[in-house]
Amino acid sequence: MSVVLDGKSLRCADVHRLAHGASVSLDAGARERMRANVESMPSGPSILEEKRHWLVGGFAAELSPEELCKTFIIGHCAGVGEPLPKTLVRATMAARVNVLATATTGCRPDAAEVLVDMLNQGVIPTVPSQGSVGAAGDLAPLAHIARVACGYAERPDTVRDYRPNAKEALALINGVSMTAALGAVGVVRVRRVLDAAIAAAAMTMEAVGAGAGCIDERLLRSRNHPGGIEIGARLRGWLEGSQQVSVDRGADAFSIRASPAVMGTLVEELSCTETILERELNGAGDNPLLIDGEWIEGGNFHGAPIAQALDAIKIALTHLATVSERRTFRLTYGQLSKGLPSFLVRGTGLNSGFMLTQYTAASLASECKGLAHPASVDTIPTVQHHEDHVSMGPIAARMLLEMVECVADIVGIEVLLAAQALDLRMRGVAFDANGAPMDAEPIQLAPRMEELHRRVRARIPYWEDDGVLHPCLKAAGQLVRTGEFLGETSPW
Amino acid sequence: MPKALAIDGSNLTIQDVVDVARNGRTVVLDEDARGRMEASYAWVQQAAQQDQPVYGVNTGFGSLARVKIDPAHSSLLSLNLIRSHAAGVGPILPVAETRAMMLLRANALAKGASGCRPLLVDTLLAMLEADVTPMVPSQGSCGSSGDLAPLAHLGLVLADGDHGRVRVNGVEMSASEGMAQAGIGRLQMEAKDGLAITNGAQLTTAIGALALHDAVSLVEAAELAAAMSIEALRGASRAFVASVHRLRPYPGAIATAGNLRCLLEGSGLIDSMPEKLQDAYSLRCTPQVLGACRDAIQYAVDQISIELNAATDNPLIILDEDGDNKAFSAGMFHGEPVGIPLDVLKIAISEVANLSERRLYRLTTGSLSQRLPAALASKDRPELGMMVPQTTAAALVSENKALGWPASMDSIPTCEDQEDHVAMSTTAARRAARVVNNARRVVAIELLGAVRALQFRTRAEAEASLGLGTAKGLQRASEVLDGLGDCPTPGEQIEALASWIQQGGHRGVVDGLESIA
Repeated sequence: MSVVLDGKSLRCADVHRLAHGASVSLDAGARERMRANVESMPSGPSILEEKRHWLVGGFAAELSPEELCKTFIIGHCAGVGEPLPKTLVRATMAARVNVLATATTGCRPDAAEVLVDMLNQGVIPTVPSQGSVGAAGDLAPLAHIARVACGYAERPDTVRDYRPNAKEALALINGVSMTAALGAVGVVRVRRVLDAAIAAAAMTMEAVGAGAGCIDERLLRSRNHPGGIEIGARLRGWLEGSQQVSVDRGADAFSIRASPAVMGTLVEELSCTETILERELNGAGDNPLLIDGEWIEGGNFHGAPIAQALDAIKIALTHLATVSERRTFRLTYGQLSKGLPSFLVRGTGLNSGFMLTQYTAASLASECKGLAHPASVDTIPTVQHHEDHVSMGPIAARMLLEMVECVADIVGIEVLLAAQALDLRMRGVAFDANGAPMDAEPIQLAPRMEELHRRVRARIPYWEDDGVLHPCLKAAGQLVRTGEFLGETSPW
Repeated sequence: MPKALAIDGSNLTIQDVVDVARNGRTVVLDEDARGRMEASYAWVQQAAQQDQPVYGVNTGFGSLARVKIDPAHSSLLSLNLIRSHAAGVGPILPVAETRAMMLLRANALAKGASGCRPLLVDTLLAMLEADVTPMVPSQGSCGSSGDLAPLAHLGLVLADGDHGRVRVNGVEMSASEGMAQAGIGRLQMEAKDGLAITNGAQLTTAIGALALHDAVSLVEAAELAAAMSIEALRGASRAFVASVHRLRPYPGAIATAGNLRCLLEGSGLIDSMPEKLQDAYSLRCTPQVLGACRDAIQYAVDQISIELNAATDNPLIILDEDGDNKAFSAGMFHGEPVGIPLDVLKIAISEVANLSERRLYRLTTGSLSQRLPAALASKDRPELGMMVPQTTAAALVSENKALGWPASMDSIPTCEDQEDHVAMSTTAARRAARVVNNARRVVAIELLGAVRALQFRTRAEAEASLGLGTAKGLQRASEVLDGLGDCPTPGEQIEALASWIQQGGHRGVVDGLESIA
């Protein structure tokens, strides 16, 4: 399905689809508005023309407008490091088109259409991932894209023969479209991981026979937080009909009992971050803007609004990581798991079972703590005192994407272990606190628990004797990333 | 390439690690070490048949040490350890880091205290020689009891069976195919082999050793870049006089001040503004800041060098001790001794880059640069000059701050509370390598600026003589840039200089420069 960019209705989910290859077009109305915007331009030299001396030193007067643009774009191609994945370059290009489609930047429709051509034809430039401070926009990464769009680097003939004017050269790079695009893809992934984590937590609760008080609707409503109320409702949904989770089981450890409180923070942070990102995606992130026939200079390129939101969601996502890891710890811990064998395997000793999965989760959770360091609290003066406060938003966005990979694997591990624990319960395998086998009634899974368990078993076998763990972890991580665990399939 | 490296568990250096991991130097097992390994192996083989519990030989692992294992199962016990510990996730490690980890594990076993066969080391060395590199996921280790998961992924290749993946000369294939192609036999696991392969922080140390090698070289590049910038900014030399630094005698600061004097000797631009009593900190305090970094890096080098030659197994077999039980369970695998220094390395290298970025800012800021052109833009052709690269440098140093969070400060209890304090040293090492890579590009950007600045000075003032070292640095770096052809982007120029630094092109521009040992 095609995504139509009109400068006002781009959602994070759309950016994610565009990243994964959805076709795109510029809305006809937006094209008309862009034309009208250009026509409203006051006569006289453009803003970039006026600034040419500042931009290219003593040569200003000698340069043709075309040379000026080329010098300007090439001079901004100062990115370094590993290239961004093509998916994220696509997302960035689409986000920039949408900014131009706000019809406030003084750009002709062709400036947007050239990027649309490239997206639809799979002409995706190589963009180094590092080098943007996210103020005056993501200058370097966007310049690497603009270099191809403007024909200053190899551009296939099938892409329209676009040549920018001075204002367009500026508008193609002067905003935090990469940060916003990475953030948009990030929140889609975060939501998918959160959805899986709620289901995984429900499986863990079923496996350890958790007390149901902690998900009581009245209890959660009494504390007002919508995130906690939502997590409680969704856990109740998964556990409907459970014979294991009931009010008479008493109070569990915090990683279970306080799940609505801990995981609820991410529900709220996610909707907040998504809202902020969508404002940016549909905002005029450029400078100067052409409004009511008047050039207005401001700071609409500065990444602060989204940088801080991206750092905030990293904190909430770290909560999800650490609380899932503690549930994994309990599942592997014979004396804490209410009768499950140590490391969830029969014949422990010769078998280490799932011992190492919890190390992996712990290592990843610790990585999250490091990645949670807020990038946006830093700022370094740049460009001769002129750009003296910057956002560091792109660093926050890249760290969010790195973190969500860690958390997908952490949640995958909980899914893997909870499924194994449910198998053991269904087989009536139980051990006392000293590891001695004891009698236990095989349990009957709640209907939706059965559904989740079945999806795991379709990909990962029950662990009888020690084999190679890695393929199980990889498959579990994929179940979370593709959404297959929850009965969906979508690219990550 | 030097002749084959003989490993004996006691003499491995960081340079050896680089030679083997990156440059393919051949490695052999020292004959005395082989003898020591055989003796400790013999002891384990007989202990495996006894009633006396020996951890991991006839017991389970971790908290499962409480479970006794039938001696008949000792081989399966080792194999199961490898298979069930192969719990890594995330991107596959680069080849050089994996090779370094293999070498380090071989050297730890060559110490002769792990009770395993020399064949295990011979197999590792044959894999290094034949360029058979296990596919090891980079994430998932807590660094205690060593880098279990990454080393277990190596073990999947060593141990015979339908498991493990390798790259042979860059081509991915199954371990059985790769080892067969290279004519290397895989091993039937024996008692304690599993522990001998997995118990120790070798991945941490491998990544750390390579990062440290690069860091030591980078400090020298930063000193060269600093000297060139200071010269271009007409700095004052009195801040670097030896007698000044003897009054606050930090070895690193004394070394940096000495190197600056050495590089700048003969410069006519230095002290060319007598009215200027003192320079800004990013120039004047270069010895204090880079010197502190040198001292911190020296600490990390010392720690890593100890770990390179350490037995890290558990239990260790010490035949010289009295009594029948020669197996000593201790915590030699714990990654803390290397985790902390590698976190310190991140701080030190971040500061190398921070200082470099501020000098670059001065070079590119008209009002601060003693009349250099704004943004160092060329007077011969239209360009933006260094305006955007300075922003790139700012982004890189900021990223280092986020990566600088000390991983080794964290710990999460594992293994039913038996392993209730872990090092997180592997994360420290991986982050340190990233910080070094970022910092190298920052210094490359400063060099790019300094080259331009010195070119302006020498063109504007024909009589301006450069320092002995800085002139040579300018010449070499200019050659790198001239080799890029017409109109390279700033990004291409930065990457070219960063590679040049990585290859050590900046080293030895003048005699008498002091390096970190």
